[in-house]
Amino acid sequence: MRIATDIGGTFTDLVYLDEKTGRVGFAKVDTTPPNFEAGVINTIGKAGIDPREVDFFVHGTTVIINALTERKGAKTALITTKGFRDVLEIGRGNRPDLYNFYYRKPKPFVPRYLRFEIEERINYKGEVLKPLKEEEIHRAIQRLRAEGVEAVAICFLHSYVNPAHERRCAEIVRAEWPEVALTVSHEITREWREYERTSTAVLNSYVMPTARQYIDRLAERLEHLGVGRSRYIMQSNGGTTSFQQARHSQIQMVESGPVAGIFGASVVGRLLDEKNVIALDIGGTTVKCSLIENFEMKVTTEYKIEWTREFAGYPIKIPVVDIVEIGAGGGSIAWIDAAGSLHVGPQSAGAVPGPVCYSRGGTSATVTDANLVAGRINPNYFLGGEIKADIAKAQEAIGHLAERLGVTTDEAALGIIRLANANMVNALKLVSVRRGHDPRDFALVAFGGGGSMHAMALARELRVKKVVIPVAPAVFSAWGMLMTDLRYDVIQTSIRRADQFSPEDANALWRELEAEAAKHYVNERIRPEQVVFSRFADMRYLGQEHTVKVPVPTVKLDEALLEETRVRFHQLHEQSYTFRLESPIEYVNFHLTAFGTVSKPELVKLTTRGVAAREAMKGIRKVHFDQEGWQEAVIYERSKLAAGATLTGPAVVEEPAASTVVFPGQRLTVDDYGNLIIELGV
Amino acid sequence: MRLVNRAASVDVDPFTLEIVKNTLVAIGDEMFYALERTSKSPIIYEVLDYACGLTDAEGQLITQGNGVTGFLGTLTFAVKDAIEKFARKGLLEPGDMIITNDPYGGGGTHLSDVALVMPIFYDSQVVAYSANKAHWTEVGGKDPGSWTTDSTEVYQEGLQFPCVKLFKAGQVIDSMVDLIAANVRMPDMTLGDMWAQVAALRVGERRLSEVLGKYGKDMVVTCMGRLLDQGEQLARLELSKLPKGVYEAEDFIDDDGIGNGPFPVRVKVTITDDEFICDFTGTHSQVPGPVNCTCTGLESGLRSILKALVGPNTPTNEGVFRPLRVICPPRTIFTAERPAAVSTYWETMEYVTDLVWKALAPVVPGRLTAGHFLSVCGVVVAGNHPDTGELFLLVEPQAGGWGAGIDKDGENGLVCVGDGETYIIPVEVTETRHGILVDQYALNTSGGGAGKYRGGRGLVRDYRIIGDEAYLTATFGRHKFLPWGMAEGKQGSQNAVHILHKDGRPPVVFGKTARYRLVKDEVARLITGAGGGWGNPMERPVRLVVDDVRNEYISIDEAEADYGVVLEPGTLKVLGLTVEREALKK
Repeated sequence: MRIATDIGGTFTDLVYLDEKTGRVGFAKVDTTPPNFEAGVINTIGKAGIDPREVDFFVHGTTVIINALTERKGAKTALITTKGFRDVLEIGRGNRPDLYNFYYRKPKPFVPRYLRFEIEERINYKGEVLKPLKEEEIHRAIQRLRAEGVEAVAICFLHSYVNPAHERRCAEIVRAEWPEVALTVSHEITREWREYERTSTAVLNSYVMPTARQYIDRLAERLEHLGVGRSRYIMQSNGGTTSFQQARHSQIQMVESGPVAGIFGASVVGRLLDEKNVIALDIGGTTVKCSLIENFEMKVTTEYKIEWTREFAGYPIKIPVVDIVEIGAGGGSIAWIDAAGSLHVGPQSAGAVPGPVCYSRGGTSATVTDANLVAGRINPNYFLGGEIKADIAKAQEAIGHLAERLGVTTDEAALGIIRLANANMVNALKLVSVRRGHDPRDFALVAFGGGGSMHAMALARELRVKKVVIPVAPAVFSAWGMLMTDLRYDVIQTSIRRADQFSPEDANALWRELEAEAAKHYVNERIRPEQVVFSRFADMRYLGQEHTVKVPVPTVKLDEALLEETRVRFHQLHEQSYTFRLESPIEYVNFHLTAFGTVSKPELVKLTTRGVAAREAMKGIRKVHFDQEGWQEAVIYERSKLAAGATLTGPAVVEEPAASTVVFPGQRLTVDDYGNLIIELGV
Repeated sequence: MRLVNRAASVDVDPFTLEIVKNTLVAIGDEMFYALERTSKSPIIYEVLDYACGLTDAEGQLITQGNGVTGFLGTLTFAVKDAIEKFARKGLLEPGDMIITNDPYGGGGTHLSDVALVMPIFYDSQVVAYSANKAHWTEVGGKDPGSWTTDSTEVYQEGLQFPCVKLFKAGQVIDSMVDLIAANVRMPDMTLGDMWAQVAALRVGERRLSEVLGKYGKDMVVTCMGRLLDQGEQLARLELSKLPKGVYEAEDFIDDDGIGNGPFPVRVKVTITDDEFICDFTGTHSQVPGPVNCTCTGLESGLRSILKALVGPNTPTNEGVFRPLRVICPPRTIFTAERPAAVSTYWETMEYVTDLVWKALAPVVPGRLTAGHFLSVCGVVVAGNHPDTGELFLLVEPQAGGWGAGIDKDGENGLVCVGDGETYIIPVEVTETRHGILVDQYALNTSGGGAGKYRGGRGLVRDYRIIGDEAYLTATFGRHKFLPWGMAEGKQGSQNAVHILHKDGRPPVVFGKTARYRLVKDEVARLITGAGGGWGNPMERPVRLVVDDVRNEYISIDEAEADYGVVLEPGTLKVLGLTVEREALKK
């Protein structure tokens, strides 16, 4: 038995897969702050499974991101190079909110009096200019202990090229003060840019005690229940790591939950042999999308928390699945500005008070209210019937907006949906068109509570040919976790000119990174034959800043293969940026991804087959289909649709926490695994 | 509120209008992003010293993606120049691109800022223009990096593009490319920037053509008109909330870099029901050194402060600026004419913004702080990389201290008002790229800006020369006339360059220099000032004074002298309050 648990803002989800029977089941309970592990234990209870049968447990958690955004981490100090303790406070000095002459910068997580400077210096070539003055470290430790510091980060200049001083400093701290939570920058990131690396190390230390306590408490409760020998935590890079390993690099869990859905979409892509996929996750307050190309997720280290167009945020230079997130979703509020323009979001009614139709005190019309008025949601089957949606209240709220805009309530509802869709299309373009990809070459895998409701309209707009609605889209993130491998990324900055980079240099560099990954997996008790590598090089034209990620063959490199890599770089550069240059090429980062492959469950096919879709019909309802207007749509119950069943829109396929809206003329087929495949016939 | 439908050529439902509007704004962003990602020079990809946008067929700005405040609304002038010179005479065809950097007309500022303009055709008619403007690291001229602090006429400042074609019918004019390559010191970088701008223009053209194809020309043109009207409506609404009246301010620009100055500058701001009038009569005439600003800079500086006042997040389009009226005599330091040197015009453009800011800060608290370090504190270091022997050019702004507000301390180490989403180059990148050693990068805690709310701290950044020699050009304004305090808050501190020579003489201190020679192991210490304080320092809560001393933002002596709080060294125990502070309490 495999189970995945995913803590969300409102609910904690569990998905299980019984490998003996192939049965997939779900459970949902309330999230239980501040003791989040209680919610996890509750879902296991509610799912009615025998904990002792669980041999694979994987977990996605929001504990890390919560500790950061609520500023509930440890009292943290910084040890850094003499002359540079203010780097953390200065940041990059940027003012993202250009015309705000009253801007407030991000406050550093370590106050100035807890930032200590040590005399030492290494230059960009890794040469020691000034030796490490060890007595200053001893003094710093004394003062930090006296201040009641609980966590420490060490970050020295140029440690990405030579970490010797950081290592020695860490040795001293560990020897003298073993109980302090310690992060050494080069152990978390080996990329250049001192502010970003310092910030990453500091945030890792800041969340370390909280994360460790959480992992230990959860492990203890699971142990008590007898759950599983193999326990994993979802990381931001789209793979998992063991509980034990997660105790050391906490910050890798910062986007633990959201990336699992993207990973799930890549699994669906493989299953259906769709190598290019756009993953779309529409939730209550946000829409997230990400691109999967050649079956691979995109991973970057340009991640920031609390970043907005108006706020610089805090960089965390770890590999994170490249997700574009916008404030739009079912709960997004429709409003009219002073100049009479209608907007949707980014404010959200959230779960409380929620959309007007929830009758929980919400008074602002939301996208969900508009979908209800447009007939796209069944008021009697809302969240599987747990809530009776009040359509009259929704109509009234939208009616107010309609009056101010001088249109009918129906028109206003449709307008809200169209605007929400337009926002989502812009987000989808951000991950595709803007980066030089044509959406027509991609299949759209849509999930989250609202994914299946909006996907067909979005696909039509972007001219995507195929939409896939996976099984149980509302708990798809947890499902994705069931399919994960372990994953470990090593990214090393090393500036090399391509014309002076020999096959020997290249092979030595990759061997070193692979040896490190292999060592990591020894600690994870993964056998060498289970480890699979992928290599990427971040490359650019000499003089440029931004790089292009170029796949590198995972074999012994020779001159021909290096040339092939350079050719790939030119191609990819042109694809992304419309031109290529004659200039020399430079390597910047070497990125090794090491997967620790674990056995994955066989996905079970539906046992039903040859049953016509009409057997799953449960009624007819008027639904508004935008340009096609009000139409009599056939309503189907998803759980009764058999493999091979086909139907044509106008139709709505309903399941407890999601509705799939099929536009007139669109054709839906149920595949062998129960996925809904909608061909748009472009 | 119902929409005011002015000159609509087609009937538009409010939703389609919003969708097309959002799409137009997204095009500006996408162009901006394309330029950033393709540029070859740090001044663009790190400092984001550029802007991209779309205008309508008349050159009115529809949308603009900005990295710095400075280029606000200047694209429109470049497009209007291209319209006058080519479009009106029927001399444009699809695929043409125009290049211009004329400082005295056509949206030019100084020669380094180069604008590209591309007409967008639909049904063989121009319906819009795609335009952008970027700071090129090198445009030739007498000094490496092109801008300098001691030029006396524009001819010394680089290559001039007087609104001419760079592309004809989709084909680059090779002679132009050869001409540029022959006139700049780093043709690879300069042409790289040019191609990045070309790519961004094409993105704008492609996207707008898609929108035109989908919604039709009439619809798109109508939406553009609405966008402008709504921008104006929002601006007027916000403007009507400002207190009506006449507000004045005066200040001084240090000098012109070649020994003249100081120069008085003045503004009289009149806010009426529907106008925002700025009258600069009484401002000093244009000067011999390169600190002159031309009409475009004046307009741009004003548009920045207007946007800060009417709401930083109102859209950026021509409509928003319709209430603005500018009065300034010709040939002043704000309205210089050919052949005035304009190389470091931005120093003076910041004063345009700052003067209006100073006049209105007392009446618009919560949106405007006390004075900040103001100067871009631009630096050029030219030398040879010690490893490769290749010429390097380090061109960058500095961050400094911002003023305190009515309910907040000033920010420490933030780029000035003329910059924006501008990233200070990391020490590790600077050292690798240029072979310079950075001895320190720290807060400048030498005082200034005391107040109930304290001014933010400036920075100190030390560049030690590792190669045999290097040349420094720097322009640090507000070296003599300091950031202003508000409501009894103290003024901030000076921006300055200190040169630490090897021979042990005292540091050489100045605000501006050109090609100052440094040899191996000598240090250029770049210091930016503190922002002004807000409110009487004696009213600052004791707890915050103690925190400031603990964090070494202020010294224990300043705690006593400026804030009247006497602390015990080491323990920071409060020993008592000074007579002055006690007196104020009573």
